[in-house]
Amino acid sequence: MNVIDPRIHQALDGELASEAVPVELRRAVAQIAAAADLLAASPPGPAMSLESRVMAEIRRPAPSRAWRLIRWLVTPRAIILRVRPAWSVAFAAVVAALTLFTAGDEGPELAEHEGIAQFVGRFPEAQSVHVVGTFNDWRPGSIALEDQDHDGVWRATVVLPAGTYEYMFVVDGERWVPDHLAERLVADDFGRENSIVIVRPARR
Amino acid sequence: MKRWVVLALAAFLALPLAAQSVRGRLEGRIPSAAIPAVDSLIQFASQEGLPTDPLIQKALEGGAKHVPGPRIVAAVQVSLGQLRDARDLLVRAGDQPPVLPAEMTTVAWALRRGLAAPLVERVVAALARPPRAAAMHAVADLVAHRFDPDSAAQLIIEAVHDGVPRERLLEVSTAALQQVQRGHTRAEAFAIVRGQLPNLPASARPPRGNVAGARRLASPAPP
Amino acid sequence: MHVRSTPPDAEVVALVLAGDTEAFAFVIRRYEAGLLRFATRMLGSRDAAADAVAESFVRAYRHLASCREPARLRTWLYRIVTNRCKSHLVRRSVADVSLDDAPPMADPADTEAALERADQLLLVERALADLSPDKREAFVLKHVEGLSYEEMAAVTGERIPTLKMRVHRAREALLKVLEDHA
Repeated sequence: MNVIDPRIHQALDGELASEAVPVELRRAVAQIAAAADLLAASPPGPAMSLESRVMAEIRRPAPSRAWRLIRWLVTPRAIILRVRPAWSVAFAAVVAALTLFTAGDEGPELAEHEGIAQFVGRFPEAQSVHVVGTFNDWRPGSIALEDQDHDGVWRATVVLPAGTYEYMFVVDGERWVPDHLAERLVADDFGRENSIVIVRPARR
Repeated sequence: MKRWVVLALAAFLALPLAAQSVRGRLEGRIPSAAIPAVDSLIQFASQEGLPTDPLIQKALEGGAKHVPGPRIVAAVQVSLGQLRDARDLLVRAGDQPPVLPAEMTTVAWALRRGLAAPLVERVVAALARPPRAAAMHAVADLVAHRFDPDSAAQLIIEAVHDGVPRERLLEVSTAALQQVQRGHTRAEAFAIVRGQLPNLPASARPPRGNVAGARRLASPAPP
Repeated sequence: MHVRSTPPDAEVVALVLAGDTEAFAFVIRRYEAGLLRFATRMLGSRDAAADAVAESFVRAYRHLASCREPARLRTWLYRIVTNRCKSHLVRRSVADVSLDDAPPMADPADTEAALERADQLLLVERALADLSPDKREAFVLKHVEGLSYEEMAAVTGERIPTLKMRVHRAREALLKVLEDHA
């Protein structure tokens, strides 16, 4: 463990005035402060309110013991599966072979007025994620994101005519979520915000 | 050859879509009680030479989000007002009526993204020739990052006058943002980028040609 | 309907205990943003955090009578959420906060600055995820939630010197990661 100058800790704990911190240590203090700011600012995304969910729950009478038992019995639980690495390597090889020799998917050829939009979102517990927006008439279910390696990161790459589009993600078919990574947001006039994607024509 | 087949197919598929009535596009997608009001707002837009697709999209969006009918109608009304404002602004700034629908949509975007009307008007007037979409978004991106609005507009206008192609204007705003990331003040960032124009650093470029894994939508997207 | 300005915590607690269930909404509105942020940082997932915080609020409501110092409701709520997060992490068998290789890409036309910021955030999040839950908790309470060491002691039930040591170790680990990537 690398131990850092105690004055850095003192400054961060408010025990040492910032002017009293030697110049060579100020960078470290600033780095920690900046990291904390980043963490504080960005559990990303616009307001998620739990109020209606919690209030609905507490307005209901507390569940009885029997009901709690039933719920426990039907709640899905994680099961840890132990697999020898040799089997997973073999499985990976089969999947790779199938992917390589069957698909040969190099993607579509882009026309001059078309570009690529990439949609990426982290939804670790999601069962499905779709992107819905002005490019598909806000039709839920038409563009599914995929999480091929089950790491909770969902992606879709779509060819679209160059232009500006508004969109949102729909998680598990019901939860509307803006793209937290999109820099551009605009009010949707329904009390929420849409993300904006600008698709530029592919350069040839 | 293959491309022609694809184009012909797309045109074939697009024809019935274009011919489909507005009501047809809305039916089943928004509460039926809201359809007459939305339809008449769209007729107004059409009669006034305003683009109707943003209004249809707003209604479909409300329907998809399960918003009650009256709120959908209200939101379409707001969108109609924005398009009228956009048209008036374009005419004030010197565009000859009938104003291009795409330009109205662009200006409505700029206003929705929070740019002040006089600023938008200034950019429109300075860039007499459409399309202005990239320029507007570049200015809006800079303003969203707390750059001074007037200087942001000035930088983008200068970039166009210096010969930066329209489709690369977003790279100008990106270059300015990068300078700030490197520790420069916003004023310094502007000066550095302005000094480099019309050259731009190689930045996140749109992908070329074939893109592995990219999908096309099943039906043609609206314009 | 009469309009209520937001009353102090002790008053809200008294209202709820007197049977005004709806007054609990004040508690949610006042504390959910901070609790969600804290739980997201602890669990590395907004969805899991939302579940943990929602469950904690319900729990807090059901056990409100046992909140001995209503004026310190905030600390009490943090304690419930902390415990909820811990049991969530235990349920996941190992305390792995899966902050995977999400490339912070939104679209190719997006600004480089945003990507750099997202990169930096990902780096910090990963470093945070690599810490033990105790150190992560201490760091987040101190630097993200801005609690004093005294408040942290009330939340976690640990002694102040222990918490200080955890925060110090967390800072050291974080600085090392940041320096390595500078």
